[in-house]
Amino acid sequence: MKSTLRNPTVYMMFILPTIMLYTLFFIYPMMSSVYYGFTDWNGLDNTNFVGFDNFVKAFSDANFINSIKNNIYFILFSVFIQVPLIIFFAILIGGVKRFQGVYKTTVFMPSLISTSIIGILWGFIYEPEVGLLNNFLSLFGIERIYWLADPKWALLAVLITNAWQWMGFFIILILAAILAIPKEINEAAEIDGTNGIQQAVHITIPLIKPIISVVIMLSIAGAMKVIDIVLVMTKGGPIGSTEVMASYMVSKAIRYSEYGYGTSLSIIIFAFALVLTAIYQLVFVRNQERIEY
Amino acid sequence: MKKSLMLIIMLILVATTVLAGCSSNNASNNNTAANTPKEEPAKEEPAKVEEPVKVEPFTVSLRHIQIGDAQKFRKAILDDVVKNTEAEIPGLKFELDGVEDQVNRFTKLPAEMAAANPPKIFDLFGGAGDAFKYAKAGRLLDLTPIIQELGMDGKFLNLGQFTLDGKVYGLPIGGSTEGFFYNQEMFTKLGINAPTSFEELEAAAETLKKNNITPIAMGSKGAWVPNMLMNTLVGRYAGPDVVNGFATGTAKWSSPEVVAAFAKYEEWEKNGYFTKGELGLEYGDMLNQLLTGKAGMMFDGSWRSSVFKDVEQAKDLTGKVGYFSMPAVPDGKGDQTYVNGNYGNGYGFSADLSENELTAVKAFIKNLYSDEMQLRGLLEDGVLPSMKLSDDALAKVEDPIVKVVMDIMKNSGGAFSHFDSTIQSDVYKVTEEQIQLLIAGRISAQEAGDALQKVQAAANAK
Repeated sequence: MKSTLRNPTVYMMFILPTIMLYTLFFIYPMMSSVYYGFTDWNGLDNTNFVGFDNFVKAFSDANFINSIKNNIYFILFSVFIQVPLIIFFAILIGGVKRFQGVYKTTVFMPSLISTSIIGILWGFIYEPEVGLLNNFLSLFGIERIYWLADPKWALLAVLITNAWQWMGFFIILILAAILAIPKEINEAAEIDGTNGIQQAVHITIPLIKPIISVVIMLSIAGAMKVIDIVLVMTKGGPIGSTEVMASYMVSKAIRYSEYGYGTSLSIIIFAFALVLTAIYQLVFVRNQERIEY
Repeated sequence: MKKSLMLIIMLILVATTVLAGCSSNNASNNNTAANTPKEEPAKEEPAKVEEPVKVEPFTVSLRHIQIGDAQKFRKAILDDVVKNTEAEIPGLKFELDGVEDQVNRFTKLPAEMAAANPPKIFDLFGGAGDAFKYAKAGRLLDLTPIIQELGMDGKFLNLGQFTLDGKVYGLPIGGSTEGFFYNQEMFTKLGINAPTSFEELEAAAETLKKNNITPIAMGSKGAWVPNMLMNTLVGRYAGPDVVNGFATGTAKWSSPEVVAAFAKYEEWEKNGYFTKGELGLEYGDMLNQLLTGKAGMMFDGSWRSSVFKDVEQAKDLTGKVGYFSMPAVPDGKGDQTYVNGNYGNGYGFSADLSENELTAVKAFIKNLYSDEMQLRGLLEDGVLPSMKLSDDALAKVEDPIVKVVMDIMKNSGGAFSHFDSTIQSDVYKVTEEQIQLLIAGRISAQEAGDALQKVQAAANAK
């Protein structure tokens, strides 16, 4: 038995099928994507190699630049609004003594619902004439807002929906970290006379920093590749106000059959996501100390 | 204790899974059992006539867009054609695949065409952006010999949007024109007559607006919807020839007469003639606005007429909707009686067909493009025929809207087509961007015209 396991051919036999599948479904499509990104492939006519034309076109394409801007809004919204709220709610739920399970389930629920259903559900909420939100706002005398039809409001409406969908998932992540903090630390602080806010700011948050940084990284990655909620709610409209890079790529590749250009856009998105997460890793995560209780 | 409890739960789960599996088997068995007797008589008849040779069963995929309530009449016709064809060809079974129009036209079919595996029979639009593009790539079956074989030569009213270099690559299922549907009851109540001039149309819009009713229902989330109206305005202001002139370079988007059409649209937009929040509304929402009395008029294709005779869909408004075409505009160029007319939607067929499938396709064409089905389309669905019908057959039309539409077509000087079938797809998508920008008030009419001309010139130079 021992000698069999030392035999490299035996190892090969075990890993070869997996490597083959991996090559077939990951390596090959990725390589061919890179190739098609440099062509004018449209699915019907002859494919020509066009060098960096697609990439040059992408950065002079006002619609694509606009979609990059919208992705940045997604990132800013998730990092500066979503994450603080996530931490706030996680700490609140962490402090609850009774029915904690109910709260956990409730906040987690939206992440279990399919994006299509969420899109339709919030479509009803945002409905301008009979929708919940406008009805509520009208109580304060606010005039009817065309949430998904007005270029001024549509992105915010999508951002809120997206946040609602994913906050619960991250709250559970952070909650797990909070509940893992030994009770003694908070108890000691309490004896020293700290109040809840002080405990949260000076004890809980510093202790869950590593998990917060993971949540931020996941939020950035999520915001970079967001597409489903946009397609379901607005299809990138009205007039491109909610178009993100991925939805623009889909519309170019699928709707207008510019597969070559679409593929080059997907390479750009990949590069952006890679660079952003790498920067984040280098700047923030490396500087953190390991916490041990 | 815990272990045995787990065991019991697991056993129950497994048992339910197995039972569920059995039950679905039973259900499907039941279904087939219930279906077979229905199909048998139809299948057996031709088998009896022919030699008792064992028939190899085969399937032919058929993509259609007749889904939803508004399309139910058209679907019934298709179902009958499918049934007849299956009865005619031994062993044939059609696999129907219903897909929403826009999804089929802009997402599914292009991807299938790129992968060279479209369905054998599929819904197809004519013109530069669809049929011609696929025909050039060799994906579409050349129907010219089949038309001759079936003796259909010269029977179609207009095959222009499907003919490339003298060869026919698709067959239109019907014809259509676009104009205003209006709520007759509301018009009478407010003392408005069906507009016959442009001034009357604008006056009607003003009256409706004063009574807190949206003058023209609109759903601009899909830009092709406002583009219908824009197209007609361009045909009126710049003349019917202009639509063909863009791609050939004889007409310019930035010319004053085309910009005048954009300017009128912009003016109506500023006057609040269209539904508020239209950029968030789908095509179907537009119909709802008219049916619920929120809007007084709706600019749509004549294919919509069957809705207004169907109590289930039109409810209180059944039979109370009228139709008029875009009136002549002041200082409009060319013949102002021309209408926006299209023979642009129908069926195309895959170039990759086996012998069996080709036989099935021929039988399908023979059954679908027959006088009987064309007349049914006209009478039941209100779709204008794409083939020449006898005057006797045409006289059977009772639907008031269809009658009006047919009169308008008869008295028109001719028809100009929709620009989505004449201009390059690169340019068409910019028309969609520009009309939405115009609706949102982000650009002026002149800016829209200039932007379009820039893209048009680039596309023409290719």
